[in-house]
Amino acid sequence: MNQSKGVLALFQHLDTFCEVIEKVKSRNDFKDHEFYSPTSYHEVEHACAYAPSPVRWFTFFGAMLGTITGFALPLLCDWDWPVVVGGKTAGIYSLPAYVVIGFEFTILFGGIATVLGILVMSRLPNPKVKVLDPRLTDDLFGVFVPDVTLDGPQAKFLKDHGAIELKATN
Amino acid sequence: MSEISWKRTISDVNDEVLINLERPHKAFYLALTVSITCLLIAVGMVCYHVAVGNGMWKGFAPPAYWLVDITNFVFWVGIGHAGTLISAILFLFRAQWRNTVNRSAEAMTIFAVICAAVFPGIHMGRLYLGAYWALPLPNTNNLWVNFRSPLFWDVCAISTYFTISLLFWYIGLVPDLASIRDRVKGVKRLVYGLMSLGWRGTARQWHHYETGYGFLAALATPLVLSVHSIVSWDFAMALQPGWHTTIFPPYFVAGAILSGCAMVYTLLLPVRWMFKLENYIREDHLEACIKLTLLTSTIVFYAYGIEFFVAWYSGNVYEWAIFEKRAVGPYAFYFWVMTFCNCFFPLVWWSKRMRYNKAVSFVVCVLINVGMWFERYNIIISSLIEDFLPGSWGHAEPGLWEIGLTIGSFGLFFTFFLLFCKFFPIISLSEIKLIMDKPMKNSIKGGH
Repeated sequence: MNQSKGVLALFQHLDTFCEVIEKVKSRNDFKDHEFYSPTSYHEVEHACAYAPSPVRWFTFFGAMLGTITGFALPLLCDWDWPVVVGGKTAGIYSLPAYVVIGFEFTILFGGIATVLGILVMSRLPNPKVKVLDPRLTDDLFGVFVPDVTLDGPQAKFLKDHGAIELKATN
Repeated sequence: MSEISWKRTISDVNDEVLINLERPHKAFYLALTVSITCLLIAVGMVCYHVAVGNGMWKGFAPPAYWLVDITNFVFWVGIGHAGTLISAILFLFRAQWRNTVNRSAEAMTIFAVICAAVFPGIHMGRLYLGAYWALPLPNTNNLWVNFRSPLFWDVCAISTYFTISLLFWYIGLVPDLASIRDRVKGVKRLVYGLMSLGWRGTARQWHHYETGYGFLAALATPLVLSVHSIVSWDFAMALQPGWHTTIFPPYFVAGAILSGCAMVYTLLLPVRWMFKLENYIREDHLEACIKLTLLTSTIVFYAYGIEFFVAWYSGNVYEWAIFEKRAVGPYAFYFWVMTFCNCFFPLVWWSKRMRYNKAVSFVVCVLINVGMWFERYNIIISSLIEDFLPGSWGHAEPGLWEIGLTIGSFGLFFTFFLLFCKFFPIISLSEIKLIMDKPMKNSIKGGH
C-alpha cells in the first residue's frame, strides 16, 4: 500500500469486526479499503471471502520444476559420462537411486517457490511501509479507508458499527 | 490434552512474551558465558586441528576414521528433527500445544543442523573446498559426483532440510518481527523493520500467508521423515554387519524425534523460567511434549529389541557376532547406557504425576540426550571397528580432542539458542493468540 492518507477505524472484538467486514464489502463507498488483523483468525478470512490464494500455483510449479531438475541433473550427468553400474551396459540409468534426489529437489524448489509466492502476493518486502497504528500488530483489528475524512459517511458508518477509535492518517 | 483455561488475553501476549527484549535474568548471562567459553575452546581446537592435520584425532585411524565426527553429525541432525516435526506435522494435525513451543523448536532445528554441518566440514580438512566437494560439480578427473551414493543423497537431504526449516522459521517470524518493530524505537526499529520485510498484517496478507504456511507444512512433513531415513542409509546401504538392515530408517527417525523432543523440553524448561513465560508455556503443553517423547521412546525400545531378534533369527553369524559384542563386548558400557537412558528411564512417564514433575522430567530428558549420543556411538563403533579385514581390527575410544569438539558443538548450539532467546520472540506471538480465548464481545473459548 503506498497510500496512507485516509481514515483508520480500530475494533476490539473479533465478532464486531467480522460483521463490519461483511457490511463494508457490500457497500460501494469504501473504495480500496483494507482490513487489518493481529493474527490469522479464520473468522476474518471467512468474512473477507477472498478467492483461493494463488500461492498454491507457486508451490505447484516450484515443486514440479524441482522434480524435473532433480531427475534431470543425475540423468544428464549419466548421459554426459556413462558409468557401468553393477556390471551392466553403460547407459542403463539407475532411476531408483535418483528418486531420492528428485524428491529432495521437489521439496526444496516447492518450499522456496511457496515463500516467494507469499512474498510476491503480499507485496513484500516493502521497506517504505507506513505503520498506521502499532496496536494493529498487537491486539486490535482495523479498517482503513483511503481518501475519506473523519466527517464523511464512511467514518460515521464505522463509528456506528462498534469502532472504538477513529483516526485520520496521513 | 484437556481444554486449557487461559489467565491471559491476547492483549497481554506482546507485553509479556517480548519481555526477553529487555534486561534478562542473571542466569541468562551465566548460561551465555558458559556456552561461549565452550565454543571458544572448540574454536581454538579447530584452529589447532587445521594447523596440524587429522593425525591429532585419537580415533582417526583405520578402520574407525569418522567415529566421533559422524556420531556428532548424526546426533545433531537427530536433535534438529523435533523442530520441523512440531512445526509441520503437528500443525497439520492441529495439535494446539505446538503453538507455544514451535518457534523455539524451529530455532533449535536450525542451530542443530548448523552444529551437524560443522563436523563433516572439519572432517573434510580443507574447509575452503567444502562447497566444491558437496556440490554436484565434476571433479579433477572430469567425473560427475556419484548420484547413487547415500552420502550425496545426504548432502541433498540435509541442505534441503536446512533451507526449508530456515524458510519455515523465518516466514513464521515475519509477523512477530513486525510486532516488535511497532513497539521499539531508533536503530532497533530500523533493524526489526528490515527483518519484518514491511509486514502490515492486512487480512489479504494473512490469507496468502496462511495458504503458503499450510503448503510449507505439507512439504516439510515428508521431509522430516525422509531426512533421517537418508542419514540412516549412510549406514544401511553399506554391507557392514550391524548396519545393513532395513529397520534403520524408521528406527533412526523415531530416535531422532525422541532426542529432539527431549532437547525441546531441556531447553524450554529453563527458558520458561528465565523469561517468566509460565503463563504461556503451560504445564499441559510441557506434558504433551513429554507424551510425544514417551511414545518415541517406546518405538525406539521396540526397534532395539527387534534389531536383536532379527540378528539372531536371520542366522547370519556375522550379524549376530556384532550384536553379541554390542551387549557384552568391549563397548558394552555404551550399549547399556543407551538402553537404560532411552528405554528404561522414560518408563517413569507412564505415571501422570511424573510427567508433571518438572525436575524428574528434566533429568530424564537430559539422560535421553546422553543416551541418544551413546546410541549413535554404539552403532558406529561396533560395526566400524571390526570391518572385513581382521588385520585392521582394533579398539577406539574418544580422546581429548573428540570430547573437546563435542562439548564445543554444545557451546555453539547453546550460544546460538541463547542469542535467539534474547533477540527474537521465544513464543510465536501470532500463533499463540490463535489458541487463546478469542476477543469476542460475548467471550467464548479459544481454538484454532
